[in-house]
Amino acid sequence: MDFDIIFGNAARAAFGPEAIILALAAIGLNIHFGFTGLLNFGQVGFIMLGAYGTSVAVATFGWSLWVGIPIGLFLALALAVALGIPTLRLHAVMFAIVTIAAAEIIRILIGSTDAIGLTGGPLSVSFDAGAFFDLNPYADGPQDRYGVGTFAFTGQQMWVITVGWLLVALVSFGVFLIIRSPWGRVLKSIREDQDAARSLGKNVFSYKMQALMIGGVIGGMAGVIDAIKTSGADPNGFRPQVTFYTYTALLLGGTATYLGPVLGAILFWFLREWIESFLRQLAAEAWLPGAIADFLEGSEGIISVGMVGLALVLLMLFRPQGITGNRIEMQLDAR
Amino acid sequence: MRRGKILLGLALGLLMALAVPALAQDGADHGQTQLNGTIRFGFDQFFEGVTITVADSSGAEVGQAATDADGRWSVPVPGPGAYRVSIDTGTLPEGIGLREGQESVVDAVVDAGQSRAVVFAVGEAPKGTPFGERAAQTVFNGFKFGLIIAMSAIGLSLIYGTTGLVNFAHGELVTFGAVIAWYFNSSWGELNLIVAAVLTVIVCGMLGAGLESGLFRPLRARRLGIFQLVVITIGLSLLGRQLVQLFFGAEPLPYRDFQVQERWEFGPWAVTPREVATIAVIIAALVAVGLMLQKTRFGKATRAVADNADLAAVSGINVNRVVLIVWVMGAALAGLGGVFQGLDADIDPFLGFQLLLLIFAGVELGGLGTAYGALAGSLIIGMSTEVSTLWISPELKFVVPLAALILVLLLRPQGLFGVKARVG
Amino acid sequence: MPADRIPSKESAPDDRSSFMDSARRTTEVEPILTVHPKPGVAKPNPILTMDGLRRSFGGLTAVDIDHLEIERGIVTALIGPNGAGKTTLFNLITGFDRADRGRWEFNGQMVTSPSPDRLARRGMVRTFQLTKSLAKLSVLQNMLLGAPHQIGEQLWAAPFRPLWRNQEQANTERADELLEQFNLAHMRDELAGTLSGGQRKLLEMARALMSDPALVMLDEPMAGVNPALAQSLLGHITELALSGVTVVYIEHDMDVVSGISDWVVVLAQGQVIAEGGPWKVIHDEVVIDAYLGRRRAGTSS
Repeated sequence: MDFDIIFGNAARAAFGPEAIILALAAIGLNIHFGFTGLLNFGQVGFIMLGAYGTSVAVATFGWSLWVGIPIGLFLALALAVALGIPTLRLHAVMFAIVTIAAAEIIRILIGSTDAIGLTGGPLSVSFDAGAFFDLNPYADGPQDRYGVGTFAFTGQQMWVITVGWLLVALVSFGVFLIIRSPWGRVLKSIREDQDAARSLGKNVFSYKMQALMIGGVIGGMAGVIDAIKTSGADPNGFRPQVTFYTYTALLLGGTATYLGPVLGAILFWFLREWIESFLRQLAAEAWLPGAIADFLEGSEGIISVGMVGLALVLLMLFRPQGITGNRIEMQLDAR
Repeated sequence: MRRGKILLGLALGLLMALAVPALAQDGADHGQTQLNGTIRFGFDQFFEGVTITVADSSGAEVGQAATDADGRWSVPVPGPGAYRVSIDTGTLPEGIGLREGQESVVDAVVDAGQSRAVVFAVGEAPKGTPFGERAAQTVFNGFKFGLIIAMSAIGLSLIYGTTGLVNFAHGELVTFGAVIAWYFNSSWGELNLIVAAVLTVIVCGMLGAGLESGLFRPLRARRLGIFQLVVITIGLSLLGRQLVQLFFGAEPLPYRDFQVQERWEFGPWAVTPREVATIAVIIAALVAVGLMLQKTRFGKATRAVADNADLAAVSGINVNRVVLIVWVMGAALAGLGGVFQGLDADIDPFLGFQLLLLIFAGVELGGLGTAYGALAGSLIIGMSTEVSTLWISPELKFVVPLAALILVLLLRPQGLFGVKARVG
Repeated sequence: MPADRIPSKESAPDDRSSFMDSARRTTEVEPILTVHPKPGVAKPNPILTMDGLRRSFGGLTAVDIDHLEIERGIVTALIGPNGAGKTTLFNLITGFDRADRGRWEFNGQMVTSPSPDRLARRGMVRTFQLTKSLAKLSVLQNMLLGAPHQIGEQLWAAPFRPLWRNQEQANTERADELLEQFNLAHMRDELAGTLSGGQRKLLEMARALMSDPALVMLDEPMAGVNPALAQSLLGHITELALSGVTVVYIEHDMDVVSGISDWVVVLAQGQVIAEGGPWKVIHDEVVIDAYLGRRRAGTSS
């Protein structure tokens, strides 16, 4: 068993593009759920539109990537508006279910054979993200690696990571600026009790809509990074559990905090990859009985996702405020 | 009766076609990346000279083949990836065509060195079944599907009503029912499916009891917030689904029994005995639950707890016992719903989760916490799912009920039968 | 407590003479008391006028008011037995519930599309029977939320602190004043969720005053408050009226009402069965019946 490899893999996942995508998705969700109290269970829908908007604009319409990215973000924004108008007045639980449903509708439509001409349907879509990688300042030869051991990235990956983490930092700072303002205070008041906010003259619908739009566009950014990273998009990558992973990251890091979603995303990928690598190494161990090794072989991914579920349960049981949250605030929540 | 025989043949043909992938994969020459298949109908009809065309994802043609005397075809492809395979239905013999609901273009993904079988289920060409007859059939299918949703929804609705818990793991209870019944039926003792279903109901009821007394009751005592509870159920849902994937696998599998049945004809409907049995059992279960809630002491206690748990406790009702029975009943019914759904659409780890969204949709459409609303909502969801296939492609059919849900809530946020809550 | 024991409006006219007596005796005291004390009477300077307001839930009519005026600048108590429709009436007027039919005028303007926030911005603020303090915000933040017309509450300005810093400072000063006045200054930076029930009532009231409202509607401000704090709450209500704010408050208990109210409106089964000066209303037989009928039924069961 080589723990250097395991840790290297885990660290690479923790700082790689997946963690960036998850961090952005969680920052957006934090605005919805953490600050406004909107139980958005369809965050994956925003990510999906960001990814597909970008991919389809470039792959199907042949436009420049720099046109595709704003299109992806615009679609995420449009989804927020289209989704918000009928649903923002609903009971929290109903809102949750309708948002899941909306994201599933979009996924089914995008992935249907009828949509092959536009989105590639079930065949997925791929495009040339050369416009982005042309700007890559890192040497990107086949031998170029940045890092140590298995914790190493190619030049292309380094460029995605650099831009991605810069974006995360920028977005986090923007969120900090608007949340500490009186505007952010209104969001929190809506989260606590929207009737109270109404009785104080706040147009609750309008604020919720603004929050949904901002968080949705940030989710769209996650999709754009995803599209660039994979040079395309696949409908199977946008199932409802993506939203649940995003919640896991957010809850792990601490809801309604500024850095919680970022730390949570890093931790999420670190732990998930650590478990998977560990199991893969374990399955190769000679002392392990053959039956167990056979059972593990190829099931590492399934087990590590199951662990995410277990982690959610344990987290809620033992540290519902996440690693950075405030215990007292959580206790006030037990209403 | 002739029609019955044809349908029997069709079902058999389909069964054979489903078995093809396994055969093809075993017998294939490893190393050759190719797509293949057999065009046949039933046991004895193989079609020669049917043209199959394979194109890559950009639409460029990769190869073409015609079936041999045994109906077999194969097209080598340049490498792993996604391909579109199309059948030229014009080359099929007179009176033979694709079965209803089958597409003449199929997408397939091949791994390197893999021989991937592509199935085109052919049969007697649907000679333009009259619209009315097709409509009648989809309404029937929708009614049955709606009943399955409704039965699975009872537990979700009652648990929400009595404890305020929105159980996102309810879909996994449904999956669990389907899978347990499959094990009883195909693996452990190879029991008759009816016996397996009864055992499944018992196992699921016990599982419900275990979840309530081992997890959710202690959590209620700790006064966890609603959201934390929801997240816990989401965690359990993920965990449960992964466990099913781990042990059962991701491939859809059918039960051993009741797969092939002769259809009975009632006016415009051609129904299998198992469909009739499904409907009868579910209606009986729904009526029993309805009577229990309306007439018995337990039912009154349940409604009292749903109305105000604290008040019910003060009036001497053992709230925990009521909730326990609700869990047992809800989980057992969800498990049974899973058995019926598995009978209808094969069993896979996502069976329950896919149904969960429709269960939620049904419960919400009717109005959260209203028993009859949930029933009506579930039927509407089931019907709209199936009836929509008259006009749109079956792969899009789940879009319709979900979109309908959003539209209804736009007009009536409290659901069709729900009542608006008072503020203050 | 069977609802049919509560006398309906039909019996009210018999008691009209006693109302007139009361009006004559108190003419000099308050201009409002020159008003003929009968249900739905017109008043010299109403801030709120309701017409044909009706709301039913299923078969039950919760509110059914032909005509009711609330006089400006005084303290009006809205009393009535349980289930009389007091809170429902509040909800209708403040836009938290939708009337089946009827209309009302606030501050001389017809309320066409009642939405709670719009009405609040027009100067009608309310509190709730179950206090809605915002638990995870500090007491000060709760107060600042009450301030109207905040530039920093607009998204475009939110990220740029200089745009709203001065206003925020002024609002904070005002909030501190009010907190001082309501004996909450020492809790300023605590989370509102840590306050006691009575302190939350005080906070909610103080928060409502941040917007300098024209009309304050308090839903059972004294409910569940210990007697000492209740006295201070009553004091605040009186002070409010002295500073020119119109106050309407719901109270369950008739005894509390007499001390601080200038005018009392009695609701039973959704209808105004009596209104007038507190002393007279309290001794009105219709009102006593409405209450005692209920109480007798309550003790006998």
